[in-house]
Amino acid sequence: MGVLNIHNLCKSFGGTSVINDFSLEVTELTLCCLVGPNGAGKTTTMDLITGRQKPTSGQILLRSDEITSLGEHEIARLGIGRKFQVPAVFRDLSVRQNLEVAYSREVSPFKNLFSYRPSGLNQKLEEILTITGLGGRVETEAGTLSHGETQWLEIGMVLMQNPEILLLDEPVAGMTEGEIEKTVGILNELKRTHTLIVVEHDMAFVREIADVVTVMHMGALLAQGSISEMEANPKVREVYLGDPED
Amino acid sequence: MTNLYHNRSAQWIVYALMFAFLAAIPLITNDSFLLNQFATYGVYGMLAVSISLSWGFGGILNLGQGIAFGLGAYGMGMTMQMQSQDPVSNPIPPFMLNNSLDHLPALWSPFQNTALGFILSLAVPTIFYVFFGSLMFRARVSGPFIAIMTLAMLTALYTLILDMQPYTNGANGIAPPAPLKLLGAEIDPYSVASYWIVYGALLFVTVASKLITQSKFGLVTQALRSDPERVRFLGYNVASYETIVYALSGLIAALAGCCLVMLVQYVSPAQLDVNFSIGMVIWAGIGGRFSLIGSMLGAFLIQGGQSYLGDQFLATWLLLLGGFFILVVRFLPKGLAGLLELSLGMIGAHMQPKDASRPQRGAEATSKAEA
Ligand SMILES: Nc1ncnc2c1ncn2[C@@H]1O[C@H](COP(=O)(O)OP(=O)(O)OP(=O)(O)O)[C@@H](O)[C@H]1O
Ligand SMILES: [Mg+2]
Repeated sequence: MGVLNIHNLCKSFGGTSVINDFSLEVTELTLCCLVGPNGAGKTTTMDLITGRQKPTSGQILLRSDEITSLGEHEIARLGIGRKFQVPAVFRDLSVRQNLEVAYSREVSPFKNLFSYRPSGLNQKLEEILTITGLGGRVETEAGTLSHGETQWLEIGMVLMQNPEILLLDEPVAGMTEGEIEKTVGILNELKRTHTLIVVEHDMAFVREIADVVTVMHMGALLAQGSISEMEANPKVREVYLGDPED
Repeated sequence: MTNLYHNRSAQWIVYALMFAFLAAIPLITNDSFLLNQFATYGVYGMLAVSISLSWGFGGILNLGQGIAFGLGAYGMGMTMQMQSQDPVSNPIPPFMLNNSLDHLPALWSPFQNTALGFILSLAVPTIFYVFFGSLMFRARVSGPFIAIMTLAMLTALYTLILDMQPYTNGANGIAPPAPLKLLGAEIDPYSVASYWIVYGALLFVTVASKLITQSKFGLVTQALRSDPERVRFLGYNVASYETIVYALSGLIAALAGCCLVMLVQYVSPAQLDVNFSIGMVIWAGIGGRFSLIGSMLGAFLIQGGQSYLGDQFLATWLLLLGGFFILVVRFLPKGLAGLLELSLGMIGAHMQPKDASRPQRGAEATSKAEA
């Protein structure tokens, strides 16, 4: 049994069904890439895992515990961190403040009223600033960062949370070649200690990082396997990769 | 890159200077009327801090701060009224007799004990805010609806107090015949002692609020004011953070209400007047809601303007104030404090041309130094 198990998930929005009997098992310490055409339901799947949306039917298990009915903050506390498709950082706070908020080892409001320098914060901050290369931008207001830097900041925030499972929705969208290369390095490093689910359209990037590729189409599982298997799969070529002979 | 405005030590120095100045007032003047008036400004200052905390730092556009302010004021009024009644020979306040009540209502009896009266004056509004707040924030009511709900609740409470004539003396309000007695001593509202009491309350409220905004709690509230959704995915229970910051602001407003009644020896539904509560938001908006001291100075400025210029301009005063508010909102979303932030930022950038030429290294050095 995997660390994250999705069983027969369905979700419809006012009659239109967006996720159709989707099941997925994610093995611990692997990186699973979730790919598929626009509107396939990748982001919605992440919404369902993280509690932002409630499924119409089906189950999501973290190990053997059902998390389907929990609130967003409870799921986050169980160790599932998420980076959004549209980078979501606190634009009017500085880079440092964004990372400090994300350092959520202590979430009790009463304890945090009296907390000024949470233990371990500085060390973690140094570590994440080194990884993301945002060291020179700590006092910058997050709203003024470039697109690539904003992506980095949000990845950094997820890392500050120190989750067991990371869900990254299009982490390299808008990044330069060099930045993508760096992300590949980080993700490959991370998967030694974390489980990751990454949604991405950039197939070259997927090839660099994926242990398993899951292809979604119209809310359902189309195929699953290694990247070369998927690239050879005629169904996948047809709906997603596009036949080169066309 | 570095802006003096964001320097915490500099901020504390400014606060210290302001409180040193306020402490000097009773040394400069012994005009008891003026002292009493300055003390009421301290009450406005506390209210402004409470709005800055909930609206500026918590993103809760709270148009009904008169709820806590009014409940605190009534609690204090009831306590002071009962201090003038004799529990045995004369337990019932005169206005109740006029409304043909022949016994002291249960609602009033705890206020026969001064200490209990104080506690209730602060606890009742705070607990009310906890319930009302968690109701709103758990349902994830969004910004404009919070404004509407707090306003509606304020109006409801205003009407209730007005209608409960036998218990509250309705529109006439409660005018305790004697000043507050503390530990056997009478606190003359026009004395230096009452000025110092309000000064102490304002100092305590400001320092505590400043510490809260600098804490991890304060940082989380600043994050959730722009994007509560994102904060949830970091593991924080947003509704409880919002409820607590809202209740803390209510506690401060309740304390302000107590102080006001001590100073004017009178409480009436006017404390729950909608215009007054909206006025508090205007103080913070003009002064700068993201700054506690900015909001406070906004209150001093506008209330000062109202009492000194309002008499000259009469009806046009409101028009002037409205126009000023629109200008500030349009051109200075961070209020007058934002203007200071901007100027200090520009001066900072001007003073360090070397850093600007190599921002990377400069910024890295500061980050290391601070870490
Ligand atoms: N809240 C919602 N209400 C109604 N329809 C929705 C909602 N959220 C998503 N959808 C629909 O569900 C479908 C799947 O959307 P989703 O965002 O999950 O796709 P995706 O695979 O992430 O696509 P992309 O690659 O473009 O990001 C789309 O057709 C979208 O219009
Ligand atoms: Mg998507």
